[in-house]
Amino acid sequence: MASNAAAPFWRSAGMTYITYSNLCANLVRNCLKEPYKAEALSREKVHYSISKWADGKPQKPTIRSDTPEN
Amino acid sequence: MFRHGSRSLSRASTMRWRRPFSTDLPAEATKDSNFVEAWRKSIPAVEPPSTPSVFMATRPTTPSSIPSKLTINFVLPYSSELSGKEVDMVIIPATTGQMGVLPGHVATIAELKPGILSVHEGNDVSKYFVSGGFAYVHANSFADIIAVEAVPLDRIDPNLVQKGLTDFAQKLNTASTDVEKAEAQIGVDVHSALNAALTG
Amino acid sequence: MAMAALRREGRRFATPLISPNPATVFRSSIIPSEEPVLSGVRCISTQVVRNRMKSVKNIQKITKAMKMVAASKLRAIQTRAENSRGLWQPFTALLGDTPSIDVKKNVIVTISADKGLCGGINSTSVKISRVMHKLNSGPDKENKYVVLGEKAKAQLVRDSKKDIELVMTELQKNPLNYTQVSVMADDILKNVEFDALRIVYNKFQSVVSFLPTVSTVLSPEVVEREAESGGKLGDLDLYEIEGAETKGEVLQNLTEFQFSCMMYNAVLENATSEQGARMSAMDSSSRNAGDMLDRLTLTYNRTRQASITTELIEIISGASALEG
Repeated sequence: MASNAAAPFWRSAGMTYITYSNLCANLVRNCLKEPYKAEALSREKVHYSISKWADGKPQKPTIRSDTPEN
Repeated sequence: MFRHGSRSLSRASTMRWRRPFSTDLPAEATKDSNFVEAWRKSIPAVEPPSTPSVFMATRPTTPSSIPSKLTINFVLPYSSELSGKEVDMVIIPATTGQMGVLPGHVATIAELKPGILSVHEGNDVSKYFVSGGFAYVHANSFADIIAVEAVPLDRIDPNLVQKGLTDFAQKLNTASTDVEKAEAQIGVDVHSALNAALTG
Repeated sequence: MAMAALRREGRRFATPLISPNPATVFRSSIIPSEEPVLSGVRCISTQVVRNRMKSVKNIQKITKAMKMVAASKLRAIQTRAENSRGLWQPFTALLGDTPSIDVKKNVIVTISADKGLCGGINSTSVKISRVMHKLNSGPDKENKYVVLGEKAKAQLVRDSKKDIELVMTELQKNPLNYTQVSVMADDILKNVEFDALRIVYNKFQSVVSFLPTVSTVLSPEVVEREAESGGKLGDLDLYEIEGAETKGEVLQNLTEFQFSCMMYNAVLENATSEQGARMSAMDSSSRNAGDMLDRLTLTYNRTRQASITTELIEIISGASALEG
């Protein structure tokens, strides 16, 4: 079992527990029957804008979104 | 006009300790006194903010004899699936294997893997497939189970599971980077667990 | 768009709005109680009041619409916030509530709204964050801000822009959900170093009551240190750990998960408070506009009546002069 290894394989690949658990949850949602699948997938949409600041100045913001801009 | 608006708001905030209609129980006594003191000393003008323990529903202390029932809270981000429900036993899919929890179980923190969570209540057994999360069993026969996603078994489509399993097995073979490999591995793990849950 | 229009209207009529009793202002300038009125003057003076009435009516329409929008948004989000309340309790039961913890690297996560016109909730978040900053500052201590929402950003930029590390906005384009908030939490974890994260938000109690709240999330190292030294988290050592090989690893997973769950509830509570505050702000605005409209109508009718009376007197006295 990979998940019993000393360091979990997903952490060695640079994921955090949050990423890992979200991936798992999303895979489960994808295996649901309709209409549960559409309902669960439409619920969990990501969109926000993030900008890092350095020395009191904002850097260029990045949009994190799973729906293409229209 | 807006001035009047803000006035009526500030009036409203003075009655903040009125019993709220929300689901949380107020429990003033459990406030962190060090924090409140430090706050008052440093900034007396501003009322110290609340902290989560103020809103915590109080939990009983460990009883001397083992209670006959286990109290479980099973929560998902979008709903409290079971809240304060008294049951006979739960079986939790810990990363180390299925873990049966009866009343009086030793205090445990368990990480969950994708698998079946079954709740036993008399002769009734309800089964959920959980994607992952954590479970805490407290010494007072309380168990908290937190999952990111959980669904009743009959909502899972077996065809999609089979398809996912073959897809990700293929991806695992062709993956080149660490991230791709990890993603494919997660895919295989989750779908095998789903498959096992449906067939087993 | 509605807000821009409202602001425009508001500015144009700013002067009468802040005068304590608008009616007296109009009366003194418009009602020519002493001198006789010519018919042309009457038209102009009632015209001014009529215009004012029209714009107040428009403002009222806008605030009423905004109130309705806020009310329907509130209904949707309140259910979600209440459903998310089960999520953080297990973590607080296990890891305790540690706002007084004294650590080197503090990160203050200030949660606010992107839009204004929602009472004082954004300023409250900022105010509490500033005090948290002050409370935890000292030699060889670090305090950083992670800001969610335009409004807190605008306020914090003024005096603490050196301490801002990350800014996140446009959260509410889609209805708030766990995946969204956890991806944000993930971004925060990856981009800032911390010993303690302090999430500052307004907890929703009712449409008129929002409690500023601070949730604390510790880094796995601090959790382990506190548990071993038998401090606030002394009980944690009593728990058996099932999971990965080492305790540190499970604690790391646990605290990451804790942060995303705490954040999720905090963001939802704050968004609910925002809609609630906006609803009550818009409600009192509409009420005030209604009051003002009543006063204006009274002034308008009185002016009209006064000039009609004057005209009648003129006609009657003219006629009686001819007769006499």
